[in-house]
Amino acid sequence: MTAISDAATAIPAPAVTVRRQTNSGRIAMTLAIVALVAVAVMPWWASTGTIRMILELCCYIAVAQMWNLLAGYAGLVSVGQQAFMGAAGYALFVLAQTFGINPFLAVLLSLIVPAVLAVPLYFLLHRLDGPYFSIGTWVVAEVFRLVASNLPLVNSGAGMSLRVMSQYSAFERNVAMSLLCAFMLLVTLGGSYWLLRSRFGLALIAMRDNPVAAASQGVDVSRLRFLVYVAAAVGCGLAGAVYFMAQLRINPPSAFDPMWANVAIFIVMIGGIGSIEGVLIGSLIFFIADRWFGEYGATYFVVLGLMTLLVALYARTGIWGLLSRRFDAPWFPFRRFLVDPNR
Amino acid sequence: MQWFDALVQGILLGGMYAQYALGMALMFGVMRIVNISHGDLVILLSLIGISMATAWGLGPLAVLAILVPLGLFMGWLLQKAVLNKVVGSDPLPSLIATFGLSIALQNLMLQIWSANSRSLPGGGIESRSVDIGGIYIGLLPVIVLVVAIALTWGLDLMLKKTRFGRALRAAAADVEAAAMTGINPRAVYALATAVAVGILGFAAVFQSLRSTVAPADGAAQLIYAFEAVIIGGMGSVWGAFIGSMVLGISQGIGFRIDPGFGVLAGHLVFLIVLATRPQGLFGKA
Repeated sequence: MTAISDAATAIPAPAVTVRRQTNSGRIAMTLAIVALVAVAVMPWWASTGTIRMILELCCYIAVAQMWNLLAGYAGLVSVGQQAFMGAAGYALFVLAQTFGINPFLAVLLSLIVPAVLAVPLYFLLHRLDGPYFSIGTWVVAEVFRLVASNLPLVNSGAGMSLRVMSQYSAFERNVAMSLLCAFMLLVTLGGSYWLLRSRFGLALIAMRDNPVAAASQGVDVSRLRFLVYVAAAVGCGLAGAVYFMAQLRINPPSAFDPMWANVAIFIVMIGGIGSIEGVLIGSLIFFIADRWFGEYGATYFVVLGLMTLLVALYARTGIWGLLSRRFDAPWFPFRRFLVDPNR
Repeated sequence: MQWFDALVQGILLGGMYAQYALGMALMFGVMRIVNISHGDLVILLSLIGISMATAWGLGPLAVLAILVPLGLFMGWLLQKAVLNKVVGSDPLPSLIATFGLSIALQNLMLQIWSANSRSLPGGGIESRSVDIGGIYIGLLPVIVLVVAIALTWGLDLMLKKTRFGRALRAAAADVEAAAMTGINPRAVYALATAVAVGILGFAAVFQSLRSTVAPADGAAQLIYAFEAVIIGGMGSVWGAFIGSMVLGISQGIGFRIDPGFGVLAGHLVFLIVLATRPQGLFGKA
């Protein structure tokens, strides 16, 4: 022990500073803030149709980022996040329509439901190994759908309408939807970025690279996984509440639609798993492809499925992985660089 | 009597589920892979069988004789072209690859066969039943159960007695050690997946005889197979069979309580098993 401490005192630690931001990061952050403000003030520059389209895009981004957090960092490959979207959506409809709570307050209150449901579900599902966890999450989403189809409180299989929204003017609704979209992006993307730059971020990245080695370094892997699962449930719940508030209608097949799992997996795998940049790239590609090729229906989905298959086989890091191998210009940097100011 | 009837019907339904679950148990036991397109492959084989039966006027036995070799070939191809590239300790690539394949297959089938439900004409066998002390038992479900027992027994025997079975179990226990003793894991994997999908050839014929199939039905079959494997306990062939029985009985009794409750009852029994006995009824702790 003495030898080590002697050596440590003999050679003074070089005075380094930790650099955590890059030029590309500063530019991207500026653009992100501009985009966020633009989304928040949509009613003053966009038509109702555009607002609805951007709302859909924001929901894709939010759900995909939550899936990215689960699969890309925590190693929890869920194909049943629609369970939480539907649960929060239904909670919103029950609170606002049945109990007469202000719908905009109800959006926030409805997030309690996915958070509370995620806790016991995690303790059930984490017993399932790797791939079985995935199908387990799917079973849970199916259970939610079947329960909703048989539950008189939510009008069983017939579904519910959000008639209380008619007391607000179209402009008021657009303002609320735009603010909710901006809030959703801030929470899911901004929150993830903040999380990845914090101490938890270091632990998450260590866990992504090797859970066993991370645990040996003192990272509480199981606790972190639990927290990520609950956080992703709440994030997906927010997306679900906002999406169904804009739809004004909810029924069991739409609330617990496995389509959301397909979309999240496609976006993250094509864009690049384990990065926020990948989610943005993938969301934009999916959004544009959906607009252009959506009319081809089944053929379009055959191509999406085959692309997902090919990415899993040959390019697991997705588009962002290929880009960042050539250009070191992260939009959302969270690495720490040690810089010697004397050099 | 009504409940005894539900129990009997549930056991017969379980025979159908066992035919899906065996292949999944085999693949997970050997490779730790779950093939998300498992259910879609059953539907694909069923639709091919139905089309052949209507085009050439084939009977169910002739369709079976074509679909089982076709299933073996499809499984071998799936392993060679896709799964051998993603097998490994990380479950993500295999999941994503088979997930993409599942979406592509479902929509491809939708293009070729449209969303309509179809079934295989069985020449009257599907509607014949025997009356045993006031309970009507369909002949076809009994055949399904007998075939399921025979398949389970045959698969178990193959794993225990044959050279290929020993190679499979060795590769499942420790793939590197098995490779050192001269087993080629990729060849073993290809055969295992071929057998797993070959069994689905039986499932495809019986599924399309006893009810209808449509391109979107695959997801439900995947979930039932998965639940049966987990209830029974992973890695055991007879466990998967018993798990299928438990699932079938739960659904049978659930349907008798309320028609909207049948499938949900199966899911709930699965969650109860998961909460109280996560290693499955026959798994080792």
